[in-house]
Amino acid sequence: MTFSLSTLLLAIVVLPLAGAIINGLFGKRLPNSLVGLTACGTTGLSFLLALVVFSKLLRTPLEEIPNLSFNYFRWIQVDNFVASFGFMLDQLTGVMLLVVSGVGFLIHIYSLGYMAHESGYYRFFAYLNLFMFSMLILILANNFLLMFVGWEGVGLCSYLLIGFYFWKKSACDAGKKAFIVNRVGDFGFTLAVILIFWTFHSIDFRIVFARAASFSVEGFASGGVLTTICILLFIGATGKSAQLPLYVWLPDAMEGPTPVSALIHAATMVTAGVYMVARCKALFLLAPKAMLLVAVVGALTAIFAASIGLVQNDIKRVLAYSTVSQLGYMFLGCGVGAFAAGIFHLMTHAFFKALLFLASGSVIHALSGEQDMRKMGGLKDRIRRTWWTMLIGTIAIAGFPPLAGFFSKDEILWQTYSRGHVLLWLVGAVAAGMTSFYMFRMMFLTFYGESRVAPEVAPQVHESPPSMTVPLMVLAIGSVLAGWVGIPHLMGQYLGNLPNTFEQFLEPVLETAGQEAALPPAEGTEWAVMLVSVGIALVGLLLARTFYLQKPALPERLKTRFRGLYITLLNKYWVDEIYDGLIVKPVKTISTYLLWKFFDVMLIDGIVNGTGHLIRGGGGVFRRVQSGYTRSYAGWILLGAVVIVVYISFS
Amino acid sequence: MIPISYYLLLSAILFSIGVFGTMIKRNMVTIFMCIELMLNAVNLSFVAFARYHSLIDGQVFVFFVMAVAAAEAAVGLGIIVALFRNRQTLNVDEADLMKW
Amino acid sequence: MLMDNLQSLRYFYPELTLIVAMLVVVIVDISFNRLRNVLNPLLTIAALLIAAYFTAYVNHGQEANLFLGMLALDSFAQFFKLFLLLAALLVVLGSLHSEELLQVHQGEFFALLLAVTLGMLLMANSINLAILYLSLELVSLTSYIMVGYLKGDRLSNEASLKYILFGAISTGSMLYGFSLIYGMTGSLNLYTIRDAFLSQGVQGFDQFTILLALVLTLAGFGFKTAAVPFHFWCPDVYAGAPTPVTAFLSVAPKAAGFAILVRFLFSGMTQTSGSEWGLVNGINWPLVLIGISVLTMTLGNIAALTQNNLKRMLAYSSIAHAGYILMGSVVLTGEGLKSMLIYMFVYLFMNLGAFLVVTIIYNSDRSFEIGDYHGMFKRAPFLTFAMGVFMLSLTGIPPFAGFLGKLYVFLAVIEKGLFWFAVVGTLNAAVAAFYYMRVIKAMVLEEGNGKTAPLHVSFLNQALLVALLIPNLILVVFWNPIERWTASSVKLFSGL
Repeated sequence: MTFSLSTLLLAIVVLPLAGAIINGLFGKRLPNSLVGLTACGTTGLSFLLALVVFSKLLRTPLEEIPNLSFNYFRWIQVDNFVASFGFMLDQLTGVMLLVVSGVGFLIHIYSLGYMAHESGYYRFFAYLNLFMFSMLILILANNFLLMFVGWEGVGLCSYLLIGFYFWKKSACDAGKKAFIVNRVGDFGFTLAVILIFWTFHSIDFRIVFARAASFSVEGFASGGVLTTICILLFIGATGKSAQLPLYVWLPDAMEGPTPVSALIHAATMVTAGVYMVARCKALFLLAPKAMLLVAVVGALTAIFAASIGLVQNDIKRVLAYSTVSQLGYMFLGCGVGAFAAGIFHLMTHAFFKALLFLASGSVIHALSGEQDMRKMGGLKDRIRRTWWTMLIGTIAIAGFPPLAGFFSKDEILWQTYSRGHVLLWLVGAVAAGMTSFYMFRMMFLTFYGESRVAPEVAPQVHESPPSMTVPLMVLAIGSVLAGWVGIPHLMGQYLGNLPNTFEQFLEPVLETAGQEAALPPAEGTEWAVMLVSVGIALVGLLLARTFYLQKPALPERLKTRFRGLYITLLNKYWVDEIYDGLIVKPVKTISTYLLWKFFDVMLIDGIVNGTGHLIRGGGGVFRRVQSGYTRSYAGWILLGAVVIVVYISFS
Repeated sequence: MIPISYYLLLSAILFSIGVFGTMIKRNMVTIFMCIELMLNAVNLSFVAFARYHSLIDGQVFVFFVMAVAAAEAAVGLGIIVALFRNRQTLNVDEADLMKW
Repeated sequence: MLMDNLQSLRYFYPELTLIVAMLVVVIVDISFNRLRNVLNPLLTIAALLIAAYFTAYVNHGQEANLFLGMLALDSFAQFFKLFLLLAALLVVLGSLHSEELLQVHQGEFFALLLAVTLGMLLMANSINLAILYLSLELVSLTSYIMVGYLKGDRLSNEASLKYILFGAISTGSMLYGFSLIYGMTGSLNLYTIRDAFLSQGVQGFDQFTILLALVLTLAGFGFKTAAVPFHFWCPDVYAGAPTPVTAFLSVAPKAAGFAILVRFLFSGMTQTSGSEWGLVNGINWPLVLIGISVLTMTLGNIAALTQNNLKRMLAYSSIAHAGYILMGSVVLTGEGLKSMLIYMFVYLFMNLGAFLVVTIIYNSDRSFEIGDYHGMFKRAPFLTFAMGVFMLSLTGIPPFAGFLGKLYVFLAVIEKGLFWFAVVGTLNAAVAAFYYMRVIKAMVLEEGNGKTAPLHVSFLNQALLVALLIPNLILVVFWNPIERWTASSVKLFSGL
């Protein structure tokens, strides 16, 4: 039984939608087991089909892949503006497809256990399935507009899921914050799409990229249009992928259930910006200024978020800032032209960050909802599976070989260094050290040392059910192995000439033409850079060990010593407060006093109510005309006819 | 030969009588007769024009109009009978349950 | 291509299907005492579907004049025929569970509905004044009976009487107009009439006679489309008729009326040169229509404001919508005609939906008064949601389908430079929002008066509600097929 690729792709997308519809409409009446089965079944099937598609993709001759585009129907057509409902498939899409459907499926399984005691079970799974649908649309779309549909769809689901506990004010606020901050980014994206259509008269990815390439030959790219387009696209990416200055929503988004944090706010949705930048590689390469902006913003976000992560006490917030920081790395990679490295990190990150979040969820589950690390400690032996899987995740993200994080992060740092961005490399390296520090700080505070668990909770600490721990283990294995598909050439040559499979695979889509390494690939330098990053991670680990295991008094002393710095970090550089003062408050004031009290209440309401009364009065008169007497109606016809004749005769 | 304008004038007069009749008369059956008068005015002018143009289709039209008028009268009388059963009146002005 | 009677027959299958079905329904009704209540609806639905199939596929792609120039077979007619068949189908489905109709014997109802549908299909086709008149009368006569279908109900009687008196007077006027046109041009065929107006000018007939003929004719069309000042029957008839019939009248014959209006004015009174249209001999009918359109929407909306009976309110609302649809006809562009068709298409779903909700609520509460809709949200949340969507759609608020119709109509007049006209339309929509919102307010915000039992909605009605909701919700996103379909349907007028 073989299906064509187009049918398979459609099925991959439609299955989660079907799940969402079934659960959304009938879930309330179905037993929880059936709801879970529908949700997991549809995503699982999607994942299986994604595997089939991927294997087909591997067997497709390379030169045919650029033609894999399927238009299902013409969605909008106005003059020469055509938007199809169509999907495309290439290596980049293939990787994303596997990551999204695979991680998504695991998180669905995990949610079965995690959400078991929550009300609104069906609602949760309906949203989650809807999210899968939107995300798949986003990555499969073959034009900007359809991508935007997915882009907005995931935003909507993110909003709904952050506010899942809608009876909690903080959750609702966080949902709204995410939605509004994302609007700022979406505005950039929308403008970019409009500008793209204006410039290239198409919104189909492949057509646009082909035309962009030929434009550059004619020297068109030197104009600011491409740079503007790329910067606008990047603004969209900063919203969705939580980069400076729009990252503020992501930490708050942790108000949602933990599986949501793992799926949407770590593994998939937030990487949409990176995917989009990589997808538009052809445009970005023609706009070096925009590329530099991407790299700089990425590096700054990486270190900025990492530094905030150093002092956070909420276990999920640490991970949230870590996510922001890791996304920064991905953008750094894309920005310096190493798109493949960025996507590589995206993939490995999906594994270990999903793992970390789910493990933290497992910890929280074990402690009956406690999220403050100051009230944890010594859990290592109580929840062993969670402990060792989380440890793997931590080692992976900290960048120790041979786990996934090492290969991808090191690839980004090396590419940055080798392309001459030494300063950005330095920033990235320092951030890597911080990453190692705060991750191990989290480990030590949670699992080691004395137990600080509240006495009433302590007896109930229990390991999570298999539906939660199995995904953890699968992800842990992934976190170990995922990096091995992209072993750098440098190491590969000593391991029986292992090629860098991942980069080679993505080569046709993400090759970085014209941006060859500025430095000659000196083997010694690359080893040195690699050693530095491992060394710096080791320093972070040792520091954390000293601070939180050996001399727990030391952090307190440092806190008092560098009080100013500590307070600044703890308050996240007061960015939220600054936004509040600069933007939110003035807008509120203007809208309250000028727009509402004056315009709305006085001016508009006055006019509207006045007119309303007038018209209502008119209605009273008009209805009297309808006297109910048939004979008068006949008279009115005649009168009407006469009036028309007279009116025309004299006009 | 009588000029066509005579026929047309007669037709216009008949039509006007019919229209005014529908407005003035209160008895439902009389109103229906006035409507028949309007239709006959139409028939007259159709026949006159057909003759004037030496064409046949105007006269055919008249047959259609007569047939339809008969059907209309049948339906109309049926409705009047139903109304009379419920109301015991033929006065249209008393059919004013619905207004405004 | 001009076809003789025998050649034409195979393009007449949709109408023939309806004729056969109508007779079969009557026979079944008197022959099968027990089965007829099941068989008749099924037969009717099957006939409508088969007719739609013939219209959509068998006749497709043909452009011809059937029966020696009596009927046109073109894409414009095809659009209307499919539209009318769809409307009839939805009304049949909506009437099955209507308590009003279940009180009386239903047998002839389906036969009558098929007859009206047949008449409407012929209206959409006709290019000859005789056929036009006959088909219009077929529709009118059968609708008189349908309106008076509840024989024992005084409201129904009265509505029927007012309808027939008003209808007879209007069609009488129209006929007088026809006779004048025939006298001037010597022909009953619309194309020949136009050619006569074009070639010989107005010898022997002054402008006044032409004008008089036009206005008298418009009385007939205005009656069918319920345009001011020929609308007086509309509120009373709508309020008195059984609700499914009201729903039907508010959509289908109105659309058929617009079909003949457009055909009469655009084929008979307009000259084509390329994609531009001009008036024949300075017969400035668009001016008349602008006036009628403004009056129609304004009066409809303002009179609807103070109505408390939902059916009556919807009657005035449907008058107002006729005004909006007319806007598209005055601009003499393909865009304008297209906007009319789009408007009618979306209007079908929102208006039938609103009437279906009214029917369902009447089934259990026996009331059309807005006061009895209070607190409906608690008793029937889905029904309230559906009504909310239909009301917002009728108001023309995005993202519901009604917005699309208004958008196209307004764009068409703006393109022609009639900004003030678009402004009038928009103001009217704002006024309309008031009474539509009032329904939502009554259902959602007001406290119920004692009744708390959940409202029963039969499965068929639920399914039908969903079926009507879907177009209202998604057409704004997937409007392209509709746009292409309507654009290709009006091509024959622009000569492209």
